[in-house]
Amino acid sequence: MIRLGDGGPVGRVVATEALPAGPHQFHFWTATATPVGIGAIVRVDEEAGRTVYAVVVDGRAYSDLATPLHEVVAAEGDPAGTRAPTRRTEVRLWTAAVLRHVPEEPVQPVPLAEVRLATDEDVEAALRMDAYVRSEQPSAIPVGVYRAGGLTAPVSLDAEFLLGPESAHLNINGVSGLATKTSAVEFILASIFQRLPMQKGTVAAVCFNVKGPDLCFLDQPGELADADRELYAALGIEPRPFDRVHYYAPFKVDGVNLNTLRSHPDLLGSVQPLVWGLREVLNFHEVLLNRDDIDAKADAFLDFLADRVVEREFRDEWGNTHRVRSFADLERLFRCIFDGLEQAGRSDVWRTHHVATIRKVRNRLLNISTRCKGLVTDDGTVSDLPFGQLEDRAVYVLDVAGMDQLGQDLVFTRVVSMLREHLERGDLGVEHVIVFVDELNKYAPSDGPETYVKKMLLDISERGRYLGLVLFAAQQFRSQVHRRIVGNAGTVVFGRMDMDELATPGYQVLSPATKIKLATLPKGELMVRHPHFTQPVFVRFPRPPVLSGPVGLKQFPPAADLPFEEAVVRQLAALDRRVSSARIKDSIAGRREDDVRRALLATKRTRPEDVVGFFMASLGPAVSREPIGRGESVARPLRSVEDPYAT
Amino acid sequence: MLRVGGTVSAGVPLSHAAPSVTSPFGSASYVEGDRIRALEVGDAAVPPTELAFLDGIQRYAVEGRIGLVPVVRGYVAAAVLRRVRETLQAVESRSEEFVLAPFERLTSQQRAELEGVGLPLYDCPAAERSHPILDVRLAAKEVETKREVLELEIARRYLEAEPAGWLVVDGALTALSEVLEMSPKVLGLIKSHETQFLDGRDLEVALTLPAAHRTSVFARAVGEHGRVYTWYLRLWPWEEHDLLYGLVRVERAPTDATVDEATAVSRWLLAERAPLAARDGRWDRLIYPIQQVETYLRAQAGGWW
Repeated sequence: MIRLGDGGPVGRVVATEALPAGPHQFHFWTATATPVGIGAIVRVDEEAGRTVYAVVVDGRAYSDLATPLHEVVAAEGDPAGTRAPTRRTEVRLWTAAVLRHVPEEPVQPVPLAEVRLATDEDVEAALRMDAYVRSEQPSAIPVGVYRAGGLTAPVSLDAEFLLGPESAHLNINGVSGLATKTSAVEFILASIFQRLPMQKGTVAAVCFNVKGPDLCFLDQPGELADADRELYAALGIEPRPFDRVHYYAPFKVDGVNLNTLRSHPDLLGSVQPLVWGLREVLNFHEVLLNRDDIDAKADAFLDFLADRVVEREFRDEWGNTHRVRSFADLERLFRCIFDGLEQAGRSDVWRTHHVATIRKVRNRLLNISTRCKGLVTDDGTVSDLPFGQLEDRAVYVLDVAGMDQLGQDLVFTRVVSMLREHLERGDLGVEHVIVFVDELNKYAPSDGPETYVKKMLLDISERGRYLGLVLFAAQQFRSQVHRRIVGNAGTVVFGRMDMDELATPGYQVLSPATKIKLATLPKGELMVRHPHFTQPVFVRFPRPPVLSGPVGLKQFPPAADLPFEEAVVRQLAALDRRVSSARIKDSIAGRREDDVRRALLATKRTRPEDVVGFFMASLGPAVSREPIGRGESVARPLRSVEDPYAT
Repeated sequence: MLRVGGTVSAGVPLSHAAPSVTSPFGSASYVEGDRIRALEVGDAAVPPTELAFLDGIQRYAVEGRIGLVPVVRGYVAAAVLRRVRETLQAVESRSEEFVLAPFERLTSQQRAELEGVGLPLYDCPAAERSHPILDVRLAAKEVETKREVLELEIARRYLEAEPAGWLVVDGALTALSEVLEMSPKVLGLIKSHETQFLDGRDLEVALTLPAAHRTSVFARAVGEHGRVYTWYLRLWPWEEHDLLYGLVRVERAPTDATVDEATAVSRWLLAERAPLAARDGRWDRLIYPIQQVETYLRAQAGGWW
């Protein structure tokens, strides 16, 4: 008699000429009522002491019916006719892919013996987790629980293979709209932060929020069901939101309202502006300029500006001294060059650079502050991530969801480059940094031009693990992402998948039944591939312990954009509720908006005890304006040089 | 043929004459009425809940000869499968493997050697004169007898455990007449019609029964003094096939209940047409549960099949 769920045999291995049992795959039959299903882990014991662990990858059921016609004949052509008193003999035949042989050698076909469901210990052994769960220095990061036949067994990833250096990176796939990808990453981050052993060093996460409110409430507790709490308990993780979350968002075009959905007054104080100036942008000009624009001549002139001009004292041929720190300074330099050339009558070349090249570069660079307004300022003000002082177990969220693709590319490229530079120097503040980016197919598509962003992602995926720079990336269609990037991800997680995507060549290794299971996977369930696992494994994970984006928006609805003065008051009030609206408004009345922004930025960056005092001091004393006399022009129009690149 | 009142058959081409019939005729007496009539049984009805099926199998092989004497290895098995919530479960099963040889043609030393092969050694009859075919046929007949004995034993054991349930047996009840006293709910289901008990108009009525019709119950002799009640039942229309297509004969203990319940029993036997036992060439007369008993026994027999 076949027993169910009591540790007894649930099936028996069968082998025929057509379906032989091999060392890597075998078949077994079970009763029709069985706890075995796709993804179940089973064990087969040979009397000689050999044990084979395997995961069920396919299943079939059939009866002794030779042709459907016989059923028609038996029912005399009437589907509603008398029900047959005997059910046809039916077989459940399963295909299992071998996970592990114990002992490992010699590798032999699976014995034709009884099949049992795996126990807790069996799951550890089957997935080779025993090497890092029960070692002297465990490095297990729980990723979910395996469930079958009433068994709930934790499944862990090896930190050495998740954060490096053995292997690294995590790639997650799944259809949009189920929140599985984001939830899974949030949970795995929580798991890493709580369970990464001390000997593995420090870790921080830099997350790019590229759409909606997905990552806007990581510091707020989410609602969990009892089932979720049980899963947390089984995995040994505390269900609590992230302790240290730092939010960064660029301003909107008005330069004072932050471009984020985390703008509720209760939360706004924890959002730092992300503002860059010329220096921050110039090194990444390739991101912002069309590739067609960057010829050797333009590139040479940009290098000249970066090496000889920006933030250096630069004397031009006409006796002017420049110290270019901002886009405004750069514009002044360009005007001097053009004016000087015009006055000297040499309008074609300046310091070996043709004037057309200079104009092209000038137009593109100065346009950046317009195209990325809110992120890039032309007055030299900077508010940036604390590179060099990243905190252990802290999450840094860069909310770029409101920016266009160009701005997102710039933020991504610069932040990752800076992280990499600091990790190379060993002065980032943490030893590992996880970079999470969603919609990877947008940044590193499998086809399309070789962009700077794609090159950078390739570099991280191929060399980042040696530095501690780990890429956690998500996308809807893995087939549409550059092969080398997804191929370098040591750990791959699959949520519910689109059938069309599963039909692409990258999924040929999966059995039809596994594909169908993936296409119908419920929320909260994942298929995980990890270097230690010979075959992908299905696991269930709890809801992340944080507020989801949509729920967060209901609980903390975003505040409406305010006029300039009101916005300044609100941002200061977010730092200190005692701030007097009238006093602030009086102090900024009649002041240049750029000065107010600079003071506001400095206050938010410093977060002083005396917010108003600091703000006032940063603002400085008011200087009365002198009217400019009629007829005096600030800039003279160019007369002789045609500007084919003016936009 | 239709113009002269005939019927059209399947017209299947054949090459050899049908196998010889050893006992073509038997005797019968009317039980239900004074002639054989065709009675419509109506639609199929749900079979009884407590229902089991018995069948047996036999195999033999000539393993060798001592001189001209055949040494035959035989295998017999029988089982009862009970139907519980539409699923068949084996409740009784037994098999036996043995060696047969005519002792009268063996020396004591030869017999002792055969007893040492590890299987039970049984005697079997031999022809008056040595005959390579006839001797084997007699041994095979002995194998058949052993199968009948095993079936009887299995039936007895089942009925001792489940006296109230119905037991449908594959074939005639000739060898099982003993168990008819144990239970009036034992049915024999005969699908081969080598022996004809009726004659003349009665036979014509029986062999041309329309689908879902039975004959009136009649009695046939069993052995020298015994008898069982029996009737024909047409499971499937025979038109465009042949007379025996879809025709079964049902046997039951000679009681009034048999007559009273003949129509009801026939109706639930009609329900047993589904599912079709279509992997067997005799599917028009073989009901699925009986086929499953045979499948079960063959699977148990291992190398014999």
